[in-house]
Amino acid sequence: MIAGEPMDKMRRGELIRLVTSPLAGSKIAAAKEFGIDLTLLVRMLELTPTERLQKLASAQAFFQALRAAKKTSTHE
Amino acid sequence: MNDFLQMLEVLCDAQVSFVVIGGAAAAAHGSTYPTYDLDICYERDRDNLERLAKALAPFHPRLRDVPDDLPFHLDAGALEQGMNFTLTTDIGEIDLFGEVAGIGGYKETSALSDPVDLFGLRCAVLSLEGLIRCKRATARPKDLLVLPELEALREMETPGQAKP
Repeated sequence: MIAGEPMDKMRRGELIRLVTSPLAGSKIAAAKEFGIDLTLLVRMLELTPTERLQKLASAQAFFQALRAAKKTSTHE
Repeated sequence: MNDFLQMLEVLCDAQVSFVVIGGAAAAAHGSTYPTYDLDICYERDRDNLERLAKALAPFHPRLRDVPDDLPFHLDAGALEQGMNFTLTTDIGEIDLFGEVAGIGGYKETSALSDPVDLFGLRCAVLSLEGLIRCKRATARPKDLLVLPELEALREMETPGQAKP
């Protein structure tokens, strides 16, 4: 998956089934129990590694903007 | 904000031998946990230290964990004297690891990496197996927190092999 090839419909369906009804005792089931949003992981796996890092950079920019806004409102 | 593309370009253009590890590697594998720096494991032979120091020099690298008024110059000699460095540069934060917990040096880390196309650059990225090994070895609460997600991602890589 990390090679960056697009995910086909069959693979996506397989992953959706896996995360909605994980095998008891599997790591996927443990992650679900832990509170991880597994559908978000499937969404991430649909992206290429570059797109995943771009998403991360967008999140960084968003958090940075939030912090800057908080600082500004604190100083007002 | 970290400019991952520029950092990777700088390292690749200078032909630095490195493996992307840490949060950026986890994100490349699909992790949803945010990170604010680029962690790399670098080869510690003298030529690579020269290339690494030269590549970062234009971006004014300085240590994050010492006061600003302490003089520091990143060159091959300084890299040789230490092992792991947490740096701030003009293009973002970059952490350099000569050794990775639970894995070893560059050679071992490289052996556990996958070649990945990142922004059109062919980069070595630590595998999920490697990330999991490292997080287990480090075992700080923040590392243990991401383990369930990494283990789920590893299982999702090969769904046919998901086992209880």
